[in-house]
Amino acid sequence: MSYINSYCHISNDTVKINGENSTSIDSDSIEEIIRELYLSLELKYSKFHKMDQLSKIAFIGTELIKQANPEISKSGENDIALLFSNSRSSADTDIKFQESYQNGGIPSPSLFVYTLPNILIGEIAIRNKWYGENMFTISSIFDSEYYANYCNILIKKNAEAALCGWINVDDDKIEAFFFFVTKKDLKQLNLPLDSNMLEKIYRQD
Amino acid sequence: MEKLKRELKEQIIELLNLEDIKVSDIGDDTALFGESLGLDSIDALELIVLMENGYGIELANPEEGKDIFATINSMADYISKNKK
Repeated sequence: MSYINSYCHISNDTVKINGENSTSIDSDSIEEIIRELYLSLELKYSKFHKMDQLSKIAFIGTELIKQANPEISKSGENDIALLFSNSRSSADTDIKFQESYQNGGIPSPSLFVYTLPNILIGEIAIRNKWYGENMFTISSIFDSEYYANYCNILIKKNAEAALCGWINVDDDKIEAFFFFVTKKDLKQLNLPLDSNMLEKIYRQD
Repeated sequence: MEKLKRELKEQIIELLNLEDIKVSDIGDDTALFGESLGLDSIDALELIVLMENGYGIELANPEEGKDIFATINSMADYISKNKK
């Protein structure tokens, strides 16, 4: 058995932590929304500005989960697994990369780096020195059963905790959901991990 | 030459998304790679693209990049000698 100890929804206009409004956002463009969210974290991490939108949202969600779980900083570098999924892969950046060379230009190396969605896991791992198990999958919908089963296997075998996320970003919309699962019940939410519970909190947004 | 150096600083900040850096933060002899600006290997590739797109200079030998991209002075010097 494992436990959901915190979760976070990010949309165009709201950030919710554990189902409660944490931040209201008043910006029109996705770029501005992400910038506003980054500034609200009061961090200085210059590499953030080089990331694509998908990785930026992953970074922000991870920082919010860390704030909700201060004990996460005590974890060993192999203790935390990273389990992420989405439906759009890196389509947004793939299109931008194509545009960088289709009119005779030279392909942009910095865009090319982000033409795989699992690079966001690398960004989280580098930032936090979390080198445990990791997986990124593409799925047409948020698959709560997949997350619950995979998390329980990871936590039974190789990890003390798992940071999980479902992130889709395009030109108009951010849809992101993060949750942090631990082997021990930290008594924060009293939520045992199972697919029904996960589906319920995912749909709270 | 001074105009070219300022132009390079502005291009580097914009191209490499150095949001926390201002033109005045980059000295003509500031090491572009390493601690000061924190540029990495992907940034080096972007600088090669900048040389080609912006100044028509194709680096035949990427090994030369280390010396050419060492500072704004070295970049400006190389561009002024090789610009097409």
